Amino acid sequence: MKIDVEKSLLWSAAGAFVFFAVGAVSTTIVPPMVDKSLWSSEQPVHEYTEQEMRGMEIYRREGCVYCHTQQIRHLDSDQRRYGWRLVKAPPSESWEYVNDRYHFIGTKRTGPDLGRVGGKYSSEWHYAHFKDPRNMGEKFPDRKGIYEKASIMPSFAYLSDEDIRDLTAYLQTLGRNKNWRVDENGKPLNDYEK
Amino acid sequence: MKQDTAAKTMVIVSSLYFGLALTMGLLTALKFVVPTVGEIEYLSLPRVRMLHTNINLFGWLLQANMGILFWILPRILHTRLFSEKLGVLNGVVYNIAVIGGLASIVLGHVKNVEYGEMPTPFDYLVALSWVLFGINVIGTIAIRKVKYLYVTVWYTLGAVIWTTFVYITGNMLSQLPMVTGINQANLIWFYVHNAVGLIFTPLGVAIAYYMIPKQLDTPIYSHKLSMIGFWVISFVYVWTGAHHMIHGPVTYWLQTVAIIFSFSLIIPVMAVITNFFGTFATAPRGTRMKGPIPKLLMMGTVYYIFTCLQGPFQAIRSVNEVVSKTDWVVGHAHMALFGAFSYYAMAGIYYVAPRMAGRKHLYSEKLGDLQFWIMTIASVPFFAVLWISGVVQGYAWLNPENSFVETLAAIKHAHIARFTTGGLIYLAYFLFIYNVLQTFFGKYPEEETTVAE
Ligand code: HEC
Repeated sequence: MKIDVEKSLLWSAAGAFVFFAVGAVSTTIVPPMVDKSLWSSEQPVHEYTEQEMRGMEIYRREGCVYCHTQQIRHLDSDQRRYGWRLVKAPPSESWEYVNDRYHFIGTKRTGPDLGRVGGKYSSEWHYAHFKDPRNMGEKFPDRKGIYEKASIMPSFAYLSDEDIRDLTAYLQTLGRNKNWRVDENGKPLNDYEK
Repeated sequence: MKQDTAAKTMVIVSSLYFGLALTMGLLTALKFVVPTVGEIEYLSLPRVRMLHTNINLFGWLLQANMGILFWILPRILHTRLFSEKLGVLNGVVYNIAVIGGLASIVLGHVKNVEYGEMPTPFDYLVALSWVLFGINVIGTIAIRKVKYLYVTVWYTLGAVIWTTFVYITGNMLSQLPMVTGINQANLIWFYVHNAVGLIFTPLGVAIAYYMIPKQLDTPIYSHKLSMIGFWVISFVYVWTGAHHMIHGPVTYWLQTVAIIFSFSLIIPVMAVITNFFGTFATAPRGTRMKGPIPKLLMMGTVYYIFTCLQGPFQAIRSVNEVVSKTDWVVGHAHMALFGAFSYYAMAGIYYVAPRMAGRKHLYSEKLGDLQFWIMTIASVPFFAVLWISGVVQGYAWLNPENSFVETLAAIKHAHIARFTTGGLIYLAYFLFIYNVLQTFFGKYPEEETTVAE
């Protein structure tokens, strides 16, 4: 029997499906089978509290991901930029995210990466920043000058104080699955802000 | 039910959505320049951005494509649409889904799926209407009066099959409770990338494959090339999702696979492009660029080459290091979905509108030409400023001495230029919609003179 694909609805459809299915299976089902770190971890990974989960949902609702990524890429420039003092931020790895019910690794950096922002600023700082990123008041003099002009982060002043508390609780967990701020001997500094 | 009711409704409704989508785009651009504009919850920048992408993808482009294909398919297959009633039901369910989804976004009920923010149940309704569309496409092919299936039919059929899986994976499977973290990100990128690659590319190319030879009254340049293009794209496109996470926390070999397949995409793209340009080249010289339709098709094809060569280029690890996460990618995405596929859809609408309305020609070719030129002259710098600002910021980021806000201040001019050129595109849209609505509902000047006589 001679099959003429161009005349046959069945054969065209079957062909298009099979060709597609090879790639679809290889890129969605196979990776987690081969690479267990996509869904499990040998190191302990932070379990989110209820408050932090609420914060995560606010992060989703407010669409922070459209301006902020959450991944320190395997690039020197990322590690230095998002490090702390002279400590480089370690690159993000897949096991650190296994408890993230919703992923926000993101694709666009209109603002800085937040992958290791947990503990970088005090919660009071975040409060003032969410209220008005362009004018954080007298308590934060380092936020004067270029920040007042150039920050294009929207003000989230419409969030209730409770929402901001939940959101901040979530932010303070980010990147902390690695205790990465260490001194030159590799001893943890544990100097994260609360 | 009257023939082409479904096609006509979807074409008109989608053209109106296009305006709404551009409004949201312009507002987003404005907020990048003046971040304090419209500082209320429902108009916060991320929500406006989600509205912009969702209205464009679902309200405008997908709906326009479905409407145009409802008209084209029966013509190619020398038959009628399988079921006009089903088509109308399809349109109704689909628009309920879109309106519900958009309202949810405004209220902040969203999924963490880029391009798929519409929450349940509206995403299930989108899937349902897609199945209805599929039944109609397959049904129409089944009752055809010709033996051979033309390229347009393959691409439509392919899109129907692929999209079903792509949409379900990205919108439903990715949200299952055991799918978390990077595993979830991978499924969502599979969707986001293939939404462009296996929904809008095949549907756009399907329309162009019909329109170019028809409009130019010239047979397609090479039948073999169209076969190569189709079968290669159906194999290679789907592998590329992970190129959105290069250098990121996802499995290294998966990134490499995505990069290699991103490169092999050049094969089907070149096949399609050669075919389109070949047809243009062999068409009668005097008329091949007459009126807005061939111009839109030609320029759409030019944008298609550029965006498809940019893709593989961006996926190179060293290039990606500079341009990834910057405005460059925004420029790239606009050239694909606005430059290439919206141009094809506009050409399609200009072509089908007079035929649906039972007119001999478009309300005004002159106005169509003017719209084409304004949009084109504005969109070239619109894309270019985004690439330039992407490269500027990408290089600035390499040096940790530059603080983040300094790198942001350095691209202010680009954000202002994007808003201005975007504004011109917005103005040109009104010429488009006026022309379309006049074609459907308006009075033609020559009709008035006949009345006067
Ligand atoms: C329009 C894009 C945009 C959106 C949306 C946005 N941000 Fe920002 N964000 C920025 C920019 C730009 C900066 C840098 C300037 C500054 O610090 O204000 C920034 C800075 C930050 C910083 C300080 C980071 C650092 O390391 O200095 C945090 C934390 C932050 N944003 C959190 C959030 C959260 C949480 C949300 C969602 C509720 C959010 N942002 C939404 C643009 C945005």
